[in-house]
Amino acid sequence: MNQPLQLMESRGSLRKVEGTIIACATSWDDQYSAFATADGDLWIVPLNYLHDPDQWYRIQPHEGGILSLSQDMNCSGFITSGDDNTLVRIVPGQEPQKILQSKRWIEKIVSWSDKEGKQKKIAFITGKEIYLYKDDFTEVFAIFEHSSSVSDLTFSLDGTKIASSYYNGATLWSTDHKENHKIKDFVWKGSHIGVVLHPREEALVTSMQDHDLHGWRISDGHNMRMSGYPTKVKSLSFSADGKWLSTSGAEPVVLWKFFDGGPIGKPPIELPGIPGSCCMIVDCHPSYDMVAAGFLDGSILLIGITDEKVIPINLGSKKSIGEITALQFNKVGSLLIIGTETGYIILIDLAEKK
Amino acid sequence: MVELDQIEKEKIPVTVLTGYLGAGKTTLLNRILTQQHDKKYAVIVNEYGELGIDNDLIIDVDEEIFEMSNGCVCCTIRGDLVRILNKLIKRRNRFDGIIIETTGLADPAPIAQTFFVDEDIRKNTRLDAVLAVVDAHHVMKTLDESKEAVNQIAFADVILLNKIDLVGQKDLKAIKKRIRAINRMVALYEMERSNIPLDKILELGGFDLKKALTLEPDFLSIHDHDDHDDHDDHDHQVHHYHGDGVMSISLMEIKALDGRRFNMWMSTVLQKFGKDLLRTKGILNFSHEDQCFAFQAVHMMAEGDYIRPWKINEKRSSKLVFIGRNLDEKSLREGFLRCVA
Repeated sequence: MNQPLQLMESRGSLRKVEGTIIACATSWDDQYSAFATADGDLWIVPLNYLHDPDQWYRIQPHEGGILSLSQDMNCSGFITSGDDNTLVRIVPGQEPQKILQSKRWIEKIVSWSDKEGKQKKIAFITGKEIYLYKDDFTEVFAIFEHSSSVSDLTFSLDGTKIASSYYNGATLWSTDHKENHKIKDFVWKGSHIGVVLHPREEALVTSMQDHDLHGWRISDGHNMRMSGYPTKVKSLSFSADGKWLSTSGAEPVVLWKFFDGGPIGKPPIELPGIPGSCCMIVDCHPSYDMVAAGFLDGSILLIGITDEKVIPINLGSKKSIGEITALQFNKVGSLLIIGTETGYIILIDLAEKK
Repeated sequence: MVELDQIEKEKIPVTVLTGYLGAGKTTLLNRILTQQHDKKYAVIVNEYGELGIDNDLIIDVDEEIFEMSNGCVCCTIRGDLVRILNKLIKRRNRFDGIIIETTGLADPAPIAQTFFVDEDIRKNTRLDAVLAVVDAHHVMKTLDESKEAVNQIAFADVILLNKIDLVGQKDLKAIKKRIRAINRMVALYEMERSNIPLDKILELGGFDLKKALTLEPDFLSIHDHDDHDDHDDHDHQVHHYHGDGVMSISLMEIKALDGRRFNMWMSTVLQKFGKDLLRTKGILNFSHEDQCFAFQAVHMMAEGDYIRPWKINEKRSSKLVFIGRNLDEKSLREGFLRCVA
């Protein structure tokens, strides 16, 4: 990170495509990144050709739009769900393969891999259920049933648990047991629309329809309320050390302290933002003390959490790239990929230069 | 103004199709889809019925009513619509409209309130109208037995009286009278086998403030001396109608109102009667204002704005309509009169 000022020029690449980017992901083996548009296109970027956008290519895995995108259990591949209620496996260089057909929309897919890339898990939401698969799709490992439609889900860092959010609460599930997999329900009245789990599983935090966050201390179920946002908080991300929860939903990036007794009774800190704009999406770097933030006006900032040093991703003359709608570090944090409302695909190579 | 109109136009119109079981909702839906073959719709349904739906994009959901955490029991929204509509707006240029077919017992209010509450839905879509398909053959019995059916009629912008070929003229008259007694503001059309010109049910602007109080045909006419109480005076009137526990009250006032006092009074009314108020609409003439103010509410959720200048020869007046249950007409009328500047 020694040449921060012109990251885009020296290390970035970009291309404009049709449609709104709704999700992006980098394969477990870091060979490919993929960008999904709401209209139904999946753009594959072979990372060998990061700086050669002509080599990026498009496939249409579904009849109709794409709803969700995630890494596949195959190390180079991806999984998408779409309007046609199917789950499709995409291995670059091969024909897309239909894995299964659901009765309803598969609204979100998440995946987990261990460090060595040996064990893999995939879970997805359809209606009130979460389906969990391990290592392959031959047999569903477990189905987690909820009292209302599931709004969001996430794996714990070690993959042994899943946290889910829904109307009136959140639940922690074990991914190790075929039955009796519910660990604990966390109840709070209202519509919970997103969920994150503390990296050391100290807390579970949800975003609510009413612009608030709600949290529970996992050990004793103690409630925490984090409020004051002008809009809905669509994006939550814990820092790698678990000390900070970064959030979208306000002009600055808002951080809640998760140490020294926080966030209970502690006001949040506000990192720099874009005056007059609104932070829409955040992702904390998987090892450095840094958060990447995307804004309504298309601004992208890398911000040091403790030193508050700001590195703007300067796109030069491309001013109207639209709202940042997808943004994600790869697993080791050597690549930042970004998608926008108006169809810009952006990749920034952050790896140490040899 | 031009810019605002432009933004409003780009919002995806959403039409809600309510109606009791077997009233003919799906037949009407298929008619819209086939007759509008040059247009693309996303259709949201709750459990496929026996009749198939002829459309590319059909999204099957569970109707889920969520209370907001402010503790107000009537501040409910449809959680399923929040999720689905927020996905659909990401590809708003892919279709011309969204149609929501509800189950027979659905309450339209949480659907409408979803469009008030969720900021992204509000920014990208507009609720065009709530239609109620009514089976003329069975409606009398249904209204006797089902509060949900009464609510659907009370809430609707348009009522489509279906299967009229199965009832006689005399019965039809009684049915229409009963429906009008529940909802005096509504546009009422007769049809057989869900056959209706689509311009009567699409692009209506039923929740467009600019069109507030343009749909009702005769409710506010000054010389309406039908079967109702009349507190006629030279410059203000009150009318009310009762039907199946729901009443419509209309208030009219020639003298200009004090805007600040009106807003205070209205927020008290919504606090007090919000639970029982299905819909409220008004066009208001505030003193020292060149523009007319439009207002609407669903239960306690309200919005209002200045919509246009009064025209030079236009007779300025304030008109306000309440549809709901257990409304205290006297206190509403007196409160309204106290707003006179």
